[in-house]
Amino acid sequence: MLKKRIIPKFLIRGGRLVKGVGFHHNFREAGNPVSTAKVYDAYGVDELMFVDIDATLENRVVNGSIIERVSEEVFMPFTVGGGLQTLAQIAALLRSGADKVSITSAAVHQPDFVRKAASRFGDQCIVVGLDYRRTPEGQLRLFTHGGTVGSDHDPIDYAQRMQDCHAGEILLCSIDRDGTMSGYDLDLIHTISEKLDIPLIASSGAGTLAHCVEALDAGASAITISSMFLFSDHSPIKVRTYLSTNGHAVRSQLGSHS
Amino acid sequence: MIAIVDYGMGNVRSLANAFAYLGEDVVISDDPDLMDQADRLVLPGVGAFGDAMQAINQKGLIAPLSRQVIELRKPLLGICLGMQLVAHESFEHGMHKGLGWLDARVERLAPAGPLKVPHVGWNSLDFPEDDWLFKGIRRQEANFYFVHSFHMVCANPEDLLATTDYGGEVTAVVRRGNVLAMQFHPEKSQDNGLRLLQNWIDWSA
Repeated sequence: MLKKRIIPKFLIRGGRLVKGVGFHHNFREAGNPVSTAKVYDAYGVDELMFVDIDATLENRVVNGSIIERVSEEVFMPFTVGGGLQTLAQIAALLRSGADKVSITSAAVHQPDFVRKAASRFGDQCIVVGLDYRRTPEGQLRLFTHGGTVGSDHDPIDYAQRMQDCHAGEILLCSIDRDGTMSGYDLDLIHTISEKLDIPLIASSGAGTLAHCVEALDAGASAITISSMFLFSDHSPIKVRTYLSTNGHAVRSQLGSHS
Repeated sequence: MIAIVDYGMGNVRSLANAFAYLGEDVVISDDPDLMDQADRLVLPGVGAFGDAMQAINQKGLIAPLSRQVIELRKPLLGICLGMQLVAHESFEHGMHKGLGWLDARVERLAPAGPLKVPHVGWNSLDFPEDDWLFKGIRRQEANFYFVHSFHMVCANPEDLLATTDYGGEVTAVVRRGNVLAMQFHPEKSQDNGLRLLQNWIDWSA
């Protein structure tokens, strides 16, 4: 049976890991990417995700040398994102050891890039990140460039469009909930996962063990966790045990060096 | 020495890192002379079947690879797309001819029920516990990392070594003589994956 995935999501800034609130505030230092990856590998998490949050704004791409170092130390899957705009950039990251790439800003500004990337590297390789927030008028709208540039796109319609462009997975991020540890956006997770045939990775808002169960109950195939792992005493082992107790299939295997 | 065949599409570094971690001498190369010197070959691959065959063909690697695998019977390990390439043909974005070392075809996953495609994540294996490949693997903990939309369907049932369940039986490991191939990523499957790679290194054809 396929297991539900627990994915620590790490934000890279200046070669270090950081974590903030609402994409912009209260950034806290969260460690060295390579040593942190080793710690979570030992916890037996199911995948890792690394996103360079400044890459698009600074018109560059995530630094592949960090990825190469991670790939030397841990023998588990990871997804990498940040500023990707060309097929050559994706090819270089895969060569460095990434298994999948996440595309966020370019997916909104040049949706055909997603189609081309899927055709070249396979659908399974392309994770489309959808960053959204609720406008004062109560509408859901996608944002790009680390949440700084708005768009007219609705995340539900856009998720469908990305599936049609052969995205392999959707990574759904609520900017409003990011770092708040107040729970995932269950309604939207439910709506989009019901609508799509590709897996949905729920992101933003995990703060308690119950939140993790709720997101999977709502239809997510995987959950990302950041603040809860970095700033609370909930370890991946506790999350896995709690999910299992609550009826979700999870993995029992531990690490690359156990 | 293990040669990882580099035709430009694949997570070659992850594979090289895994073999280096296991203490093996490993090269990433598209040079037929190095493949000749190697004791074992690994055929990796991430991407679309048609593009991969075209890249292998353009690099002039079909004849040298066939010589190593079919004539010299050197152990070959195909992984993910590298597994699918050893089939006769694939139906990913049209029909494409493969290397044809195994009587098999590659078809899109069509799981029964509300399951998503791609099949992404850790899934359990149904495998013969007494086979050398699975030495040291415990059935209850035999999860491996899959990330794929297509899978291989073998014409000869005896080529099928292990399967996983995803809304029906999905081919996970195939083997015929010196050709061994896996749909999941052993180099990304933590301890269990490293154990399979070590078992393959320890095996002599």
